[in-house]
Amino acid sequence: MAKSILEVKGIKLAFGGVQAIDDCSFHIEEGTITALIGPNGAGKSTMVNVISGTYRPDEGHVILDGKDVTRMPNYVRAQHGLLRTFQISREFANLTVLENLLVVRQGQVGESLFGALFRAKRWQEQTKELVAEANDILNTFGLYRLRNEYAGNLSGGQKRLVELARAVMAKPRLLLLDEPMAGVTPALIERLGHHIVELNRELGVTFVLVEHNLDVVEKICSRVVVMALGKQLADGTLAELRSNQAVIDAYLGGGARERVGS
Amino acid sequence: MTLILGYVATLLVTFFTYNIFVIGLNIQFGYAGILNFTVITFMAFGAYFYAVFVMPHADNSSQVFYILGLHWPWPLAMLAGIVASGALGYLVGLIALKRLRSDYLAIVTLATGTLVYGLFGNNNKLFDGWSGLFNVNQPFQSVATNHPNEFSWIFVVFSGVIMLVVWLFANRLYASPLGRSMRAIREDQDVVDSFGKNSFKVRMLAMVIGSVIVGIGGVLTIQYIGALSPAGWTTGETFVVWAALLVGGRANNLGAIVGSLLVAVIFNEATRYIPQVPSHPNLIPNLRNVIIGGLVILSIWFRPQGVVPEKKASFLEVPLVDKYAQGFPGEEPGGTLSPAASEA
Repeated sequence: MAKSILEVKGIKLAFGGVQAIDDCSFHIEEGTITALIGPNGAGKSTMVNVISGTYRPDEGHVILDGKDVTRMPNYVRAQHGLLRTFQISREFANLTVLENLLVVRQGQVGESLFGALFRAKRWQEQTKELVAEANDILNTFGLYRLRNEYAGNLSGGQKRLVELARAVMAKPRLLLLDEPMAGVTPALIERLGHHIVELNRELGVTFVLVEHNLDVVEKICSRVVVMALGKQLADGTLAELRSNQAVIDAYLGGGARERVGS
Repeated sequence: MTLILGYVATLLVTFFTYNIFVIGLNIQFGYAGILNFTVITFMAFGAYFYAVFVMPHADNSSQVFYILGLHWPWPLAMLAGIVASGALGYLVGLIALKRLRSDYLAIVTLATGTLVYGLFGNNNKLFDGWSGLFNVNQPFQSVATNHPNEFSWIFVVFSGVIMLVVWLFANRLYASPLGRSMRAIREDQDVVDSFGKNSFKVRMLAMVIGSVIVGIGGVLTIQYIGALSPAGWTTGETFVVWAALLVGGRANNLGAIVGSLLVAVIFNEATRYIPQVPSHPNLIPNLRNVIIGGLVILSIWFRPQGVVPEKKASFLEVPLVDKYAQGFPGEEPGGTLSPAASEA
């Protein structure tokens, strides 16, 4: 078995009286594309927020690369290569597409006040290199001609592509995608899926996708984790899960949710 | 003639100091999106602390009371005033920036301003209460006492040079990766965090830098006039700075300059020449605020981005061959995202 890059153990998180995540555990192997599926309200997005560090769980641990990161703030986790996208596109609207990419690269010389003021030559050079790199990425995503457009002026589908391109620019090791295909045309779904597979293959990025579109899941994900009512219900390939009665009841077949809890 | 020369000098100094205030606010609001509704308090902090560091020990027999009175040389006192203003920015940031955003942050800054105003005004042991500080030691003192007009022009050059330095600083900051991070935070703070940047730290930097710059303007103000009392830094003054930034154009320092020329100099000064109505001494100052308010409304209505809008970033780049200039495989040429058959 491949090494796991991420492990969640016994996560519990309640919002008031709602137990959004109730003792959920699973692990993600390095270099895979894993889908996280489940009916609405299963706690998938909450889980993404727990993993990325936006929420701190009431109980349980998040282990990244064998290291317990449960108490680490989200930006430190991101520095370790754990990145995420959001359910709705959250581009920097009044920055150009190119700037959207430039801003996310970590460790730039001009990011400290001292560097910004006194090492201008160095960061100008660095920016030039980053512009070239970003243009390359934008070209792969078919966004090159839009590079000097304000990101807020793009169409919904283009914003989706910018989100993914921006994440690539940040050099992730593990990328959590929260419903990347939501509200996207079939042609673009195809393209996004193609990009994800390519990034996985060429750069070795590990992906976790929250996704409702099972065709996509079947096509690009090697493993599927099913959540329901805040618990991990099952995992395996989609083919295996199709014959799992609990999964069928909870999700694939629809309805009969109360049976899952018992 | 000398009168006119003196007046022109005063106008220029006003223009330069307002530029500095507006650039300071621009770094906080235009760059990082921090709603600071008490800009003028930072100006007062800089000015007062400059004063008590530069003035000799308070002579209590004259019924004037203030703290410290260290009689430092003016450049050091200037530094002290600037540090004090930055420290206030840091304190407000600690309280407000960690947890609060936009409107709630604005409320905290407004409350800070009211607190400081009430405290400094009512406690006459701190900075001489409502009567304020006067006879504050000015730089180039010997010139100031003997040749007031020459002093004015020396001060025009002095404040002009400082404004130039602030302007160059602000523009370099804007173009730098740090400035870009600030602007990204203005757009969406959580996303910046989730890409591995400590947005709290960056916002704090913007807050403190802005406060320091406004503090510089405050020191210059009191150096030129030689006096300051709470009546000179009421909440209304904050909105003159805001109006200048909004009318001129946020996130563009050229806009800050145009705005302070339009609002702080032309509107503020031109209204001085409307003849006073004897029975209503407050009519003209109030009318001035009405006019500035109207100007803000008009500019937000007709030109929300300001007279000089934010400049779109452009980079020196090696052009690439657009892989998808002909559209995507299976898509119509030119149609970026037209629904079509899947890729071949």
